[in-house]
Amino acid sequence: MKLIFQPRYWNHINGWLLVLPAVFMISLFTHFPIGSNVFHSLFSMGTATRPEAFIGLENYKYLMDDDIFWKVLSNNLVYSLCTVPISIAIALCMALLINRNIRGRSLVRMAFFTPTVLPMIAVANIWLFFYTPEYGLFDQIFTVFGGDSHNWLGNPDSALYCLIVMVIWKESGFFMVFYLAALQQLSPELKEAGLVEGSGSWYYFRRVTFPLLMPTTLFVMVNAVVNSFKLVDHLVIMTKGGPDNASSLLLYYIYENAFSFWDTSYAATLTVILVLILAIITVIQFVVVEKRIHYQ
Amino acid sequence: MKLLEIGIGKTAETLGAWMLGLLWLLPVVFAFWSAFHPAEYSTNFELFAPLTTDNFVRAWSYAPFPRYLLNTFILVTLILAAQFVLCTLAAYGFARFEFFGKNVIFALVLLQLMIMPEILLVENYRTISKMGLLDTIPAIGLPYMASAFGIFLLRQSFKTIPKELVEAAQVEGVSAVGILWKVYVPLSRSTYIAYGLVSVSYHWNNFLWPLVITSSVNSRPLTVGLAIFGAPESGVDWSIITAATVMTMAPLLLAFILFQRQFVQSFMHSGIK
Amino acid sequence: MSKIILNDVCKSWGKIEALNNINFECENGELLVLLGPSGCGKSTTLRLIAGLETLTSGTVEIGDRDVSNLPPVKRNISMVFQNYALFPHLNVGENILFGLKARKVPKNEQKKRLENAATLLGLADFIDRKPAQLSGGQRQRIALGRAIVAQVSVCLMDEPLSNLDAKLRQEMRQEIRSLQQRLKMTMIYVTHDQVEAMTIADKIILMKEGCIEQHGTPEDLYDRPATAFTGSFIGNPPMNILTPDDLILDGLPSFPTPLAGSTIRYLLGIRPENIEISGESGIEGLVVAIEYLGADTLIVCRSGEQLITLTVKGKTGVSVGDHLRLNWKPEHIHLFNGEDGRRIEGLAGGLIS
Ligand SMILES: Nc1ncnc2c1ncn2[C@@H]1O[C@H](COP(=O)(O)OP(=O)(O)O)[C@@H](O)[C@H]1O
Ligand SMILES: [Mg+2]
Repeated sequence: MKLIFQPRYWNHINGWLLVLPAVFMISLFTHFPIGSNVFHSLFSMGTATRPEAFIGLENYKYLMDDDIFWKVLSNNLVYSLCTVPISIAIALCMALLINRNIRGRSLVRMAFFTPTVLPMIAVANIWLFFYTPEYGLFDQIFTVFGGDSHNWLGNPDSALYCLIVMVIWKESGFFMVFYLAALQQLSPELKEAGLVEGSGSWYYFRRVTFPLLMPTTLFVMVNAVVNSFKLVDHLVIMTKGGPDNASSLLLYYIYENAFSFWDTSYAATLTVILVLILAIITVIQFVVVEKRIHYQ
Repeated sequence: MKLLEIGIGKTAETLGAWMLGLLWLLPVVFAFWSAFHPAEYSTNFELFAPLTTDNFVRAWSYAPFPRYLLNTFILVTLILAAQFVLCTLAAYGFARFEFFGKNVIFALVLLQLMIMPEILLVENYRTISKMGLLDTIPAIGLPYMASAFGIFLLRQSFKTIPKELVEAAQVEGVSAVGILWKVYVPLSRSTYIAYGLVSVSYHWNNFLWPLVITSSVNSRPLTVGLAIFGAPESGVDWSIITAATVMTMAPLLLAFILFQRQFVQSFMHSGIK
Repeated sequence: MSKIILNDVCKSWGKIEALNNINFECENGELLVLLGPSGCGKSTTLRLIAGLETLTSGTVEIGDRDVSNLPPVKRNISMVFQNYALFPHLNVGENILFGLKARKVPKNEQKKRLENAATLLGLADFIDRKPAQLSGGQRQRIALGRAIVAQVSVCLMDEPLSNLDAKLRQEMRQEIRSLQQRLKMTMIYVTHDQVEAMTIADKIILMKEGCIEQHGTPEDLYDRPATAFTGSFIGNPPMNILTPDDLILDGLPSFPTPLAGSTIRYLLGIRPENIEISGESGIEGLVVAIEYLGADTLIVCRSGEQLITLTVKGKTGVSVGDHLRLNWKPEHIHLFNGEDGRRIEGLAGGLIS
């Protein structure tokens, strides 16, 4: 009996061979560490005298009672709730402005986009100086108007908000680009029909532009939320999470636990929480996107 | 009357856009100002303040910036090359072949869009250290080399390639690899450029993971070098720090100014799904 | 009263001159078609009337009112766009009422007008659907509905049927025509399709390269084309435009001989349907192609350097390679000036008799 190797098997083999290298690498640095995080969160830290041991949910219990964790988590929520909507709103305004036929629009567009290509570290350095008491730009402007000198980043009440302002500056231009792309895909006929039928700018924006940009808003929003959990570079430079964890964010707290306090098992526990948060965002995104597809 | 109103509205819009644009550029302009002027002018804005490159010279002499620059350059190139190869192959597999478990595997790949390697830095550090690669340039790049984002973009682009082109090549007896190389890759050029620019910007600027994984001058990229150099405890002068900051961001900024349209379009392209 | 008048209208974008001195009037209740090849400035003319573009010079009057500097809303017009300009996220009803809501027309009035329009257009069952769930013809009807509920007497349409298939196009153009007559709308209708223009129009304006070539009824354009261009644009297959050479002059004994010797260069236009195949006399032609269309057959002959197309009823026994003798009646001849393509009046009929 002759064995004929059917071509359709080749599809499976070729397909698998092609995706295998990438899938292996992604598993190694994404799926495997997720599992291993969960695993390590169930063990105590090994020390020189004591080997690591299975402690069940002990780490999670500790986490529940960890005031700093709650502080950091609520910081992160405030941070997300401020940076996401504000930077999206600014991005939308920028895109609407640039989409008009104004003079020098490519220059303006460049100005808006520039912060996106700068390293967060460089940005943090620059803004660190803006916030410097007395010499910094903010204090100089403030004193011109008769205000007092502030220790912007040294004050627990203002530190987080200072970071928020900076991040909004850094990210708006990035999000603007997506709105621009979406605006360019709207047919000019729609706008003209609106003009003929007598819709004012605001009415048209509310009834047509904004709803039609909804998919973009969703995309940008998910991006912004994920960024607000994963981008903490500036903390290393500007506040180190301080003062008294007033500006610390979840990922930075993980970093501190793992690489300053060398408590990798607690860091793993915190990472599990962070992954859970991101998973929830993903699920929400899917549900909403799914709904939108049915809706259209 | 009406036309006049429209004119005024338009002027106001233009003015608003310009003001916002200026505001947005201000921090960057300021960084350049401070980097090119002596320290006493860094908060003292006089139009005719003397220009100097002294800050750069001193920053250069305090820290091994050329080495950092070289490291970043190697890092970015390495990542980009590996990404192109891995993502092209995987995207080709996902776009063209029906194989067992394809959808599940693809969903698993996409997970990386949400949970980027830096989120998992504790465990990834452990993995790299077990591999014995701590404090090496490849270690910085390794977690990013297979990129879900790249696979996704390229797959999208591959799927838009007309079937006739592929079939015509098949009829002419071109092999599967030949089709990838002669049809898919050349026709997706703009996607490669877009992805390349986004990737280079990302890794040029990436910080937290390199900070964790590197510990010596031999592997530190620019961003980490700058952070260590600029740390308050280093006690270096402010204008010298800004000079270093400008050095760090200048290459990418220059590329951006030169290829502005390309950059913006690339980022746009990468967001349209 | 909604007469539309364009006075010396010019439009240019930088160096590109799209319209050059356009003058015309569209009477109250008239359906005027702007016809011409793509790029000749039809849409530009329409958009200038709508106020979507600004005039470079000249004036536009609608209903005895100079509207040249008014924004579109103030011009009391409705407009149907080529791609219908439907809002994909709004349902049929919301789309139709979009303008009324924007202008804050009272709710019950909105409802009444919507019901009227929906019944008129057969859309009543689809009011809650999204445009994406409807067929091309239905989408076209929504666009018409938007124009109807505005209850203004001027309606502008830019190639409204170009996205429909041939059969639907024919149906819809009849529907548009009857709507226009029933609602007594003054309508300017843009198309590049001469059949559409001929069937629907009260008057046609034929345009070419930003200028008006001819303004008249469909019959005028067909029977008395003002230029060689009009002759060849109207009618299908197009009019033969021939340079009278010896072969033609010799073959047509009834041809006005004084003209043969005259010094002006001229062109001779003859419609394919007016050419007869005769037994012995006439122009000699070699058949180079035959297209059987069912009701008629198209025969392409070569006479010297020139190609002559003729149509005959039904099927013919002629085949490629045959030699034919072609003839036509003097009254069917159109003469055009060879320099500027203008019609030479009187010569064709006059000189022969
Ligand atoms: N916004 C514009 N900018 C520059 N040129 C234009 C513009 N709109 C139309 N044109 C030019 O004007 C001429 C007439 O265009 P149009 O009125 O759209 O022709 P059509 O008869 O096909 O509708 C064309 O040559 C076109 O290229
Ligand atoms: Mg047109």
